[in-house]
Amino acid sequence: MSSYIEEFESKVKPKDYYDRLYDELVRLNPRLNAFNALIKPDKNGIPLSVKDNICVKGIEATASSKILKGYIPPFNATVVERVLKTKRFSIIGKTNMDEFGFGSFGINCEKPAKNPLDEERVAGGSSSGAAIATALLKYHVAIAESTGGSISAPAAFCGVVGFTPTYSVISRYGLIDYANSLDKIGFMARSADDIRVMLDITKGKDNRDSTSTDSKIVGLHHKKLVIIDELIDKVDEKIRSQFFEFVEKLKNLGYTVKNINLNEIDLSIPAYYLIAMAEASTNLAKFTGFKYGFKLNDFSKNYNEFFAEAREEFGTEAKRRVILGTFIRSASVKDKYYSKSLIIRKELIDKLSKVLKDAFLISPTMPIMPPKISEANSMSPVQNYATDILTIPPNLCGLPHISFPYSYSNGLPLSAQIVGSQFNDYGVISFVSEWEKNFEYKFKYNIGEI
Amino acid sequence: MKIGLEIHVALPTKSKLFCGCSTEQVDTPNINICPICMGFPGSKPSLNEEAIILAKSIANILNCKIRDKISFVRKVYFYPDLPKSFQITQLQESIGYEGLIIIDKGKRINIRRIQIEEDPAKIIRSEEYSLLDFNRSGIPLVEIVTEPDITSEEELTSFIFTLKARLYYLGIDIDREIKADLNISLGKERVEVKNVTGTKNLLEAARYEIERQTELISRGIEPTKETRSYDEKERKTKASREKESDEEYGYIYEPDLPEYNIKNYSIRETVDPIEKAKELAEKHAYNPKIILEAIAFDRYALDLIERNEEKYNFNSLMQAIMEIKRFKIDNIDDLSLKMLLEEIEGGFQIDKDTISSIIKHEKVKHSDFSQEGIDNGIREFIEKNPDILRRYIKNKKLADYVAGEIIKRYKAKPKEVLKRTIEILNSMTGQK
Amino acid sequence: MEDKEFDRLLKISRIKLSEEEKQRIQNDIEGILRYFDSVDKFNEAKIKPAFHPIRIEGHPRGDKIEKFEDKDSLLSNTKTYRGFIIGPRI
Repeated sequence: MSSYIEEFESKVKPKDYYDRLYDELVRLNPRLNAFNALIKPDKNGIPLSVKDNICVKGIEATASSKILKGYIPPFNATVVERVLKTKRFSIIGKTNMDEFGFGSFGINCEKPAKNPLDEERVAGGSSSGAAIATALLKYHVAIAESTGGSISAPAAFCGVVGFTPTYSVISRYGLIDYANSLDKIGFMARSADDIRVMLDITKGKDNRDSTSTDSKIVGLHHKKLVIIDELIDKVDEKIRSQFFEFVEKLKNLGYTVKNINLNEIDLSIPAYYLIAMAEASTNLAKFTGFKYGFKLNDFSKNYNEFFAEAREEFGTEAKRRVILGTFIRSASVKDKYYSKSLIIRKELIDKLSKVLKDAFLISPTMPIMPPKISEANSMSPVQNYATDILTIPPNLCGLPHISFPYSYSNGLPLSAQIVGSQFNDYGVISFVSEWEKNFEYKFKYNIGEI
Repeated sequence: MKIGLEIHVALPTKSKLFCGCSTEQVDTPNINICPICMGFPGSKPSLNEEAIILAKSIANILNCKIRDKISFVRKVYFYPDLPKSFQITQLQESIGYEGLIIIDKGKRINIRRIQIEEDPAKIIRSEEYSLLDFNRSGIPLVEIVTEPDITSEEELTSFIFTLKARLYYLGIDIDREIKADLNISLGKERVEVKNVTGTKNLLEAARYEIERQTELISRGIEPTKETRSYDEKERKTKASREKESDEEYGYIYEPDLPEYNIKNYSIRETVDPIEKAKELAEKHAYNPKIILEAIAFDRYALDLIERNEEKYNFNSLMQAIMEIKRFKIDNIDDLSLKMLLEEIEGGFQIDKDTISSIIKHEKVKHSDFSQEGIDNGIREFIEKNPDILRRYIKNKKLADYVAGEIIKRYKAKPKEVLKRTIEILNSMTGQK
Repeated sequence: MEDKEFDRLLKISRIKLSEEEKQRIQNDIEGILRYFDSVDKFNEAKIKPAFHPIRIEGHPRGDKIEKFEDKDSLLSNTKTYRGFIIGPRI
């Protein structure tokens, strides 16, 4: 299947298409918690879901946080504007996520998301709802967001294609920030061609986002693949063996595979979290219970008490990260943690760009199969963070990357991730396009099929 | 005594520092607002280049070293008037550093740094709530931080005057919007008086604080290191109402803004009125203080001088300018100016009627009084006020008063009237 | 992390925790910080920090007024009194 968008646009939709779509999703949603809001669109474009930390004018945006309940953005995010301008898409809902993006499993929110392929398991996070929607709907594209792997992880666990562009390629204006030097808006879909369409529509400089650029995006489709040993060592034995089978298939398709060592790569997790939490703690400071979202109406309190009480609406993970982030930024330890992490980032960018000059990085997307929700709930924070080991390096370094299924095991997908050099976004998409010519994805659901 | 200042000055840009909202002062609250200056989730800052140009020009006037590349930081603290709960400001990469300003008597006040930052919203305190007006939120500010080189009230006054005069010619009126933190130490510890608005309050706060600390020291008490605020009504500094909080600003680089290369931004050339006054004074052998008073905050006056200094007698020109200021004449044309100068050089009194005639280019009516007429007027006046003679014997200055009355009434030439008045008074009292 | 320091952090970040949450999070944080300490191992003095993953040239905008048309949508998110926005007292 090359492009579901094209296929959808070529078909005649029955009159009640969107009504039925809406009804079906309303029926399923309480079980899966994919959507924070479901919308019945009045136009007949390709169904589009938007992660709930991306602003759509006039529609509640909560970033799955109680503190933003009732926030109605007075503007569209630039990415949403660019997509709606084409008049080819219809927004069908805002998708669920880990609160503010804090999580890799989709369970850090009021209504934890469930994996549609096995409802006792996590869907992955933080763009959990986007992945579920893509796994449910035949004709649909999701606008999602990644800071440390929040597109790759849920895409991998739900068996869909998830693309994260080079940092700065897609405007962040209208994205409710987690970590501004790490956040990237990206997409999920059922094929690489659909991803390409979305990138075409949304890429490019936006005057409202001073970090967006008009750098030339290339499409170098390298035939050389690199595996970093320190990363592959952290992957579950069962996944590793299946991954190597996949790599053999790629060799048969004409790829060469090289193994390398990069021992600083282990520092990428702490460096990432140190930067992300420091930035996040400043981004969450604006939520004080009176300008938008949750309003604490108790004015008997003075402002310090008022703010502290309002901020009780944060979930536990959010509180944890705000406290830690504040600590990291404090003068006494700033050089030790924050400044060091910025240096580590530079070092990794330099090392990886050398490797990626003429190659792609390849690895499984996640080191484990999607855990059961009860298991995930009992993991310690450090165990949680460690599951990001494969997605953090490209995210920390702002590299374009894409996750896609390469096999299935007991009904669950096995996904791999391809990473390219900065601005080689079309290159990684091409890789997956080619893979799709040789492999057909399996989907349990095909809601909305015509 | 060591006094240092952190002065915030609003920049006269059309739009705000990080968004396109107008900076115009309006009476209705919350008119010039948008998601950015209100800190709505999802909004992002977009830097105004005019703020860079003005800040660079200020740094230049204050003899600062100017960085080629600037960047911004987040200063995090919680207060209802701070929409994002952080202020976008500058730290290490501030636009100007290591400058200086020379005040009266050649005293050198060093400038530590100049930084660009955004203004918070306006907050109106009430018993039960805060009322917030975001019109002010996001207005571009420059913060000027001095070294604690000021060592007296006089120096403080001179510093403020000098700074004001230099900034005026860049289009900045610091009297209106200035907000300053005053750091004063007479003992070992530094006392900070925060958020003083306006130059008048600044001087009063300094005065009070100097007295307060002096008094403590005279009793053998070392003033404690603390933060105080200035109460405008009572004209006193007070221990800060807000508890000295543990606020830690937790600065990080502002990740929504890149580094800016400002090397090629031009500096606005401007006039230093103090230097200009000295120059003119030397050129025309005139008192520089008077010239400075005329031009320090009046570009129009300077313009008049520059256009006419070669045409007319300088003394007369300066007098004319005083009259123009006194009568608040806007845009005097060349002919009117010429007529005004003629009146001045003719020794005539300048009054409302004079001005109205010259503006209409009509011949100024002078009293046609003969010597006799004036003499009669003087004698008449003395007759009506007989004890003037007695008082004149004790105090010769009374002649000025009498002459003044005559001049007013008859619009005669002041010098002549005075001369005649003195002569008549003397003759009537038998004096010389 | 000492209790006193943890309490100070809570105060600075305006976060309130129940006793139970406090115990849990304080514990978590100690573990997390130990994990983070590994960055200290990295010792390359000559490397410059990367504030962004790519090099970005800043281009400021011209000083033009751009009105935000829909002010009501801003104010409708909050409580107002005579045009002022209501916040907690200071």
